[in-house]
Amino acid sequence: MTTAADREKRLALVSRLKATYPEIPEWPTPDIITSDHYWAYLKNNHDQGAQLNPPEPFLEKEEEQWELMTYALCEVLGWGGIWVSEERRRICNVDVGLPIYLGLPYYSRWLWSVGKMLLEKNHITWTELTDRLAEVQDRYAGGLNGRRPAAQPKFEGDGSAVHRNRNHIDAVGKGDPVMYAGQAGPAQFAVGDRVRVRDLPAMFYTRTPEYVRGANGVIAEVSYESPAPEDETWGREDSTPEWFYIVRFAHSDLWDGYAGHHNDALQTEIPERWLQAAR
Amino acid sequence: MPDHDHDHDHDRTVKPMVDEITDFEVLEIALRELCIEKGLFTAEQHRIMTEYGEQIGPTPAARLVARAWLDPEFKALALRDPMAASKEVGVDWLDPTGFGTPSDFYAFKILEDTPTVHHVIVCALCSCYPRPILGNSPEWYRTPNYRRRIVRWPRPVLAEFGLELPEGVEVRVQDSNQKHRFMVMPMRPAGTETWTEDQLAEIITRDSLIGVALPRPGVTTNIATKAVPAVRPITE
Repeated sequence: MTTAADREKRLALVSRLKATYPEIPEWPTPDIITSDHYWAYLKNNHDQGAQLNPPEPFLEKEEEQWELMTYALCEVLGWGGIWVSEERRRICNVDVGLPIYLGLPYYSRWLWSVGKMLLEKNHITWTELTDRLAEVQDRYAGGLNGRRPAAQPKFEGDGSAVHRNRNHIDAVGKGDPVMYAGQAGPAQFAVGDRVRVRDLPAMFYTRTPEYVRGANGVIAEVSYESPAPEDETWGREDSTPEWFYIVRFAHSDLWDGYAGHHNDALQTEIPERWLQAAR
Repeated sequence: MPDHDHDHDHDRTVKPMVDEITDFEVLEIALRELCIEKGLFTAEQHRIMTEYGEQIGPTPAARLVARAWLDPEFKALALRDPMAASKEVGVDWLDPTGFGTPSDFYAFKILEDTPTVHHVIVCALCSCYPRPILGNSPEWYRTPNYRRRIVRWPRPVLAEFGLELPEGVEVRVQDSNQKHRFMVMPMRPAGTETWTEDQLAEIITRDSLIGVALPRPGVTTNIATKAVPAVRPITE
């Protein structure tokens, strides 16, 4: 039973969570939002590269049973054609928002993405999820008492009418992205070409890191053909594959006032739509 | 009548002795049960995927590099066709579904270190990692700390792992942010000229295949020694 004091305690806890820049009041009016702040709020929170961070210890971690189960759950949903990994990568890394992204454990976001996806694709209802959560809580009310938490499905459902993607059929025997070979036409760039990464107003999802946008680099490898993640992440199966490239950047071109070792470099993989020829 | 104040104090000083199920476990069980009841996948498929996830680890990757050090033809194969080389050490990247593990895709590249280039891998966006051949990524590899800093300050970060490279060596950071998975092939260290494949494989640590360490005779363990224990670890 929840008492008024319990409610007070929960509300006080939530009130302490801060989710905005300190220089801007909560619930701002449009006139005080600059374009810089707008894009900072819209930035994909998985794009962590080159953000400032003090040194911290590097730790190993023993894996929880539920973490292995979560990994298996996400993968087996891909195996069954319920989603492709690019959908999961968006839902669990970007759609969660920054407080959950930074505030909860890694695999708990994978788990979060399963629930969200099942609801959005109409595989389950909110009522089914909520009832089942309450049921599992009740099953273990009073503690585990030596038991291991275990799934007890009431039956195995007939999945013949479930909507599934084409990817999990087309990829068999080939793998993804090999399955898209020969579909993108000629590659626009070749190894050694100088390219500039476009600075596109990318909303909602991208895998081109902010730290290379606008920078010049050199094509190090013509990688493979695949739909761009920005299309694939929405479960679209009608998007045209394009060429991907491994692009090499000199550290001295990436970082302002770079004073480190001058032959150090960074490579990252970028789809063709993000690249333009540079001199 | 419950003594509220007493409970409150107790709460603060003594950890509850009851072994409670965690919110994560409740959610995982609820979702898995619903998926199976809806027919999204079978319990058998889930069992196969779980067993797959339990048996992966860095052993085949170390074996691959050791063999490449000893056999120039195998090394050429590893660099030209890493999927074929993986098979030679028992890893078929199409397992266990017939099209691979969905999250790891089917595009693998081995980055060869030379006397003038040292590679180190990261996924600044999430935790992309050559899981089928190297096992699960370590916790530190997934943290914002590593992902934020290695791309921008590779040498200071490598120094925190105890790895300082001479000025003449190019440090090349590979951010694996799309479908490619990368692994480093470090150079064979001096003093191992007469070693067998088994002996060599022992010093090819996971950390040296990520690129935050170099193989050294006598060193068979990874760098981070502190491990956070699980509440309920994986059982057989």
